[in-house]
Amino acid sequence: MATRPAVALEERLLAKARYGPTDWMGGWKTCVWGSLAIVALTALHWWYTSRHAWTAGIDASSPEFTKYFRSLVWFELVVIGAGTGLWWGWLVRTGRQLLNVKVTADEEVRRIAVFWGLVAMTSLTLYVMASFWPNQDGSWHQTAIRDTALTPAHIPMFYFWFPAGITMTIGTYLYGRYRLPKVYGSDKGFPWSFAFLIAASVTEMMQVAFNEWAHSLWILEEIFAAPFHWPFVFYGWLSAGIFALWAETIIRLLGIEKEVEEAPAASAAH
Amino acid sequence: MAIAARTPKEAAQFNALLNKKYRYFDYKWDLVFWVTALPIVAAAADITKLLFAGDWDFWTDWKDRQWWMTITPFAMIIIPSAIQYIQWLAWKFPTGFTYTAVGLWLVSWLGRWLQWDVFAQYPLNFVWPATIVPAGILVDWILLKTRSFVITSVIGGMVFSMAFWVANYVTLAPFLQPVEWMGSIVTLADVQGVSYLRSATPEYLRMIEHGTLRSFLEETALVAMLFGGTVAVAGYWVGQGIARVLAIWPIMKFMKKV
Repeated sequence: MATRPAVALEERLLAKARYGPTDWMGGWKTCVWGSLAIVALTALHWWYTSRHAWTAGIDASSPEFTKYFRSLVWFELVVIGAGTGLWWGWLVRTGRQLLNVKVTADEEVRRIAVFWGLVAMTSLTLYVMASFWPNQDGSWHQTAIRDTALTPAHIPMFYFWFPAGITMTIGTYLYGRYRLPKVYGSDKGFPWSFAFLIAASVTEMMQVAFNEWAHSLWILEEIFAAPFHWPFVFYGWLSAGIFALWAETIIRLLGIEKEVEEAPAASAAH
Repeated sequence: MAIAARTPKEAAQFNALLNKKYRYFDYKWDLVFWVTALPIVAAAADITKLLFAGDWDFWTDWKDRQWWMTITPFAMIIIPSAIQYIQWLAWKFPTGFTYTAVGLWLVSWLGRWLQWDVFAQYPLNFVWPATIVPAGILVDWILLKTRSFVITSVIGGMVFSMAFWVANYVTLAPFLQPVEWMGSIVTLADVQGVSYLRSATPEYLRMIEHGTLRSFLEETALVAMLFGGTVAVAGYWVGQGIARVLAIWPIMKFMKKV
């Protein structure tokens, strides 16, 4: 009896008749819809903080703050925590079964396109966490008085989008490890490209603790170029590892092209 | 065929390569790469600018002739240099500075518009970001002509700093006009700085306007521009290091299992 992932694979192969591995609604579907989802989620988050920040977010001891912002922190932590656990768990559980299923060139190319879609979502997530929200953090801190580490600007940035960076970088690795074993299979060891990219997202999250400690006990003014902000920059540079992901998968894609070119009959037989 | 084939055999090889039919490669791979790399490239450039020179770039009255011209080119040359190395290595495209500059322009204006103007009601003529698009085009042009990262770093770093000042002076000049304000001669930018609330920001007069900055008048700008160019040369190599060590070196490199 076929396992569930094997059935899913067969269903996808049937669907291939409608969309090829490099059609926008084929392999690139993850890139298109995933990126749109991140934009929509960012817009929704921005609308919420813009709507309530200046009326309920000024005084961290007020009941309004608890209602609109402390509740948001818990909501975000539950959503990102549960969502991450479910997604990573699904990737590992199904991935282990898929490792034993032989794939066609079409299917492997589709997976590389999906992988690129996840990399695109990672790129967008890192932009939202490292540029979009820090701008709001700047305008908030240089206007309002900091009375808590949970400011209206920090809540989306530090407690949703920073963890989301970790969700995306590690999730993308898990996808590659189990669905693209010829590039990222466990037999090769752990890729340095992902080591840098994942380290960028994890160290950025850890730097939040240093940032809050330093603002409380060292430099209380909101100088944006303050020395204890610089690690955010140094850690952010580690995300340059993302370029190696594109290169590594393009090298595999060239390999697939060569394999198909050299063995057209064998490829057609799959 | 118009490309520079030196022999008929080479021309035939070029022709075969150009007309090669691929099963999976099409324009979408290029399109997806160039579009989806832009957010992280722009974010890296923005966070480097925000946290190395953010205060000087946030406000018109901080765009001074001492620190803004010195610190900001250093902060803004790092990531374009990294992308210039990557794009030159991968495609021989002298486009990395321009690509990054355009991305930075997009995300900077999106941030200033939504997060400073709409969210916090600061007028855009007070919080406008500096541009490096003209400076970036020039540095890419220098690489195109010299085909040398060393020469591009030295000449390009100085040109970047000068073009940074010239390009942004067009926007800044109206705010440097003198006005009388409560019995003192100040600039329009100073008036903006006093008028808009910045409750947690150190006042810029304490931070930057000291010493002989104003008594030397425009000479100060020239000195700062040259020193800004010097530190921009260093910043260029920081960017090269990021590209070479963190982006290119890891390709197909794996940690051995312990």
